[in-house]
Amino acid sequence: MQPTPPFTPLVAPFSPWEPSALALIVFFAIVLALLAVILFLSGFLVRQRPTPEKQRPYECGILPTGSARFHYPVPFFLMAVFFLIFDVETAYIISWAVAWPELGVAGYLRMAAFILILGAGLGYAWRKGGLDWTEEEGL
Amino acid sequence: MSGPADLAFAHADAIINWARKNSLWPFFFGLSCCFVEEATAWGPRYDIARFGSEVFRGSPRQADVLIISGTMFKKIAPVALRLYEQMSDPKWVISMGSCSNSGGMYDVYSVVQGSDQILPVDVYIPGCPPRPEALFDGLMLLQKKIAAGEKPTRPVLHLPGGCEGGRRDHLIDGVSKSRDPRGPGYAGIPIRGTAATEPRFYGSRAGGMWTPQAPRLSLRPDQEAVAADLQAAFGPAVTMVPDAGDMPTYRVDPTRITEVLAHLKSVGPTRFERLEDLTAIDETTRDKRPANDATVVYTLTSLTTPGMVRLTCPLPTRDAAIATATGVWPSANWYEREAAEMFGITFTGHPDPRRLLTHRDWAGHPLRKEYEGRGTAMAPFTEEDCKRLEPVDAREILGPRADASDYLLNFGPHHYATHGIFRYVLAMRGERIKALGMDIGYHHRGVEKIGERQTWHQFIPYTDRVDYLSGVANNLSYVTAVETLAGIVIPPRAAWVRVMLSEIFRLSNHLMYFGTFLQDLGMMSPIFYALREREMLLDIVETITGGRLHPSWLRIGGLAADLPEGWKEKIDAFIKIFPGRLREYHAGVTKNPIVRARCRGVGTITAKDAIDWGMTGPNLRATGVAWDRRKTMPYGAYPEFDFDIPTQAGGDCYARYLVRMDEMEQSLRIIQQAADTMPGGRYLAEDARYSLPPKTAALHDIESLIHHFVNVTRGPRLPVGQAYAATEAPRGEQGYFVVSDGGCHAYRMRIRTPGFANIQAMPLLAEGLRIADFVATLASYDYILPDIDR
Repeated sequence: MQPTPPFTPLVAPFSPWEPSALALIVFFAIVLALLAVILFLSGFLVRQRPTPEKQRPYECGILPTGSARFHYPVPFFLMAVFFLIFDVETAYIISWAVAWPELGVAGYLRMAAFILILGAGLGYAWRKGGLDWTEEEGL
Repeated sequence: MSGPADLAFAHADAIINWARKNSLWPFFFGLSCCFVEEATAWGPRYDIARFGSEVFRGSPRQADVLIISGTMFKKIAPVALRLYEQMSDPKWVISMGSCSNSGGMYDVYSVVQGSDQILPVDVYIPGCPPRPEALFDGLMLLQKKIAAGEKPTRPVLHLPGGCEGGRRDHLIDGVSKSRDPRGPGYAGIPIRGTAATEPRFYGSRAGGMWTPQAPRLSLRPDQEAVAADLQAAFGPAVTMVPDAGDMPTYRVDPTRITEVLAHLKSVGPTRFERLEDLTAIDETTRDKRPANDATVVYTLTSLTTPGMVRLTCPLPTRDAAIATATGVWPSANWYEREAAEMFGITFTGHPDPRRLLTHRDWAGHPLRKEYEGRGTAMAPFTEEDCKRLEPVDAREILGPRADASDYLLNFGPHHYATHGIFRYVLAMRGERIKALGMDIGYHHRGVEKIGERQTWHQFIPYTDRVDYLSGVANNLSYVTAVETLAGIVIPPRAAWVRVMLSEIFRLSNHLMYFGTFLQDLGMMSPIFYALREREMLLDIVETITGGRLHPSWLRIGGLAADLPEGWKEKIDAFIKIFPGRLREYHAGVTKNPIVRARCRGVGTITAKDAIDWGMTGPNLRATGVAWDRRKTMPYGAYPEFDFDIPTQAGGDCYARYLVRMDEMEQSLRIIQQAADTMPGGRYLAEDARYSLPPKTAALHDIESLIHHFVNVTRGPRLPVGQAYAATEAPRGEQGYFVVSDGGCHAYRMRIRTPGFANIQAMPLLAEGLRIADFVATLASYDYILPDIDR
């Protein structure tokens, strides 16, 4: 029976047991090489025959009218802005609620004022039609 | 260039070719009838996936084989060329069908006589339309061509030499191709003799032929009341034409036409609510030349007292002016634009006097008699013409209806959801359609012009292609008009078979509708079920007629042949299974909450608007109007059949869908009755002198032989007169207005199609919708391009 060879650990950078940056570096090198190969092949192997007609945007076979940069009504933009405001409000209220025993009545009054101001803002936005889903005018 | 590298490349070539030929991705680009067979090839029975080509791509960037399926129109040619240029390399082109190969039967001013004049075609597939098997044959030929001829490794590796992709060059008329179907060397000789060459028909011997007696109309009491009322209201400005055989016809002083129209629409004893048709006749080459050069013809229909009336307005010259009728009927808009471009007539006060079917820069008025009708007689259409006939800018189509700040989107002519080459222009505000513009004529095949040079029988195959999903139902409209003109009575067996086949085509059309409608809503599987049943119907059609899409099976006075052995078994088998299948459809689709949410309340139109715009067919019945010509103004054998008219009140996409589903049930009932009570006897009228005698008779007695010969070559002669007959085709009322000058050809062949009137009302339905709902509305509407553009 062969005697078991004595265990000699690898030097630290190559050891799978020792945390080191080398594994990460090798990993990134492989990723970069693969990316480079893929990008090169997809650029190299494809047949590129650019003609003015081919470079043109496809619009059902017709020459497009106007540019692609145009005014676009985004009704959800207002919604997103309002959401942001009320989301921040919630964050404040929850943190206040957690700290409620320490803050006491003074904290309660301050928070009440805060909510009232926000409520007035909501009422204003509501009255101005900010919550209506009006996409555009003149339709 | 042979060496060790090339030896290695040969193997690489084989591998690349193998990969390419087994994954050819066709471009989703259908021009005409052929595309229906192409789509069928994609369906369950034929299954193009076996060839690795089931991935039909909607964008040219992702496709590598262009199948030109259908007629290459001059108006669509610049678009087709651009789409080809925008496809990724390497790319190939298959020309599918006679029209694309050579212009086919459409030797006419609006059709390119062979798409190989502008596009590099690799494979040609003959047929009109080629069957799906023929498409596969073409596809396999292309695969063989790729495997045998291409050496793609060198180009792929950017080395000199090698070759890949299809041809790059197109053919040049007179150098590498000849547009003359007889081959080169016949320049200056008319294709079918001077007697068949418009506009003079020099040397025609029609004058000496026998012709049936034209029928004369006797007025019903309500029609007499209208005549008396018109006499009282307008006096000598309106006079009755004595020799009309189909409907009361009045000659109206052109200066008073709008008054008369308004009177008939909303004042007279019978209200004519619908402008059925508006067209013109060029009178300059009549045998007996009348005093006027042109006539404008208005056809009106009363829905409350089923009946029709025709008004004719003589104009001194062909470019004379007449007041527009758009103030009375908004639907007169397109009709007048068409009459203006085709004849040169001016409609004063017209809100939008642009050309409709032809390009803005088109020269001449095609339906004037002296206009050259044949495409082969015109200069060849080339790439330079493509540049000249570039589709007009979207802003020009919408005009003042779009602001400078609106985003204009072209929706078509090449688009999945337009169901053919139809160009919508959307002025978008956000996601909503603010204004909808329509540009039609991309599918204009000049059928009305062709109708003036084909003999009465020769025109029948063209009628099949007017609504290429309704086959024999088209023949029926045409032969009914001709039979009305000449007073021909057909035997009961023929009438029964006509009803049966028309209903089979209605079913087949509605099945296609069911599949495509739901596919446009995003349901992929229903079309496979629908195509499965449709193939059963096409098998029946093929058993009876020998054709699939375009049987051309009706004849003036009857049918082309008797029913073959075994027809009843096939129909019985279908009647047995279909009700179950229909239940299956309803179970899977009709109650589906997503389908309901997408369709209910979307794209609505009211009954009043629908009538005012001349909408017909299932789309009209979906607004609650129980008007079906098979019941209200019956023709053929329909009075003998027991069936209901399904209606829905909603006027939305869902109602249009339900009406068609119910119509399928009713059609099945009619087919069953027709098959069960099929009378015996002749399939052709007794008096066969105007018709084609059966070939067996022609081979046995000299009389039949002579009539067969004369009617095939010179064509039958029909009496002088005019007749309009409309039938309830699957998509609505399709009418033929045939004018005869006592020759072997029609003097004027006018086709009133349901699609033209229906689609004109589209802005009413679509404006204000989102694009996704617009797609649902288009899909529910069931229009077809040759039916709109003709």
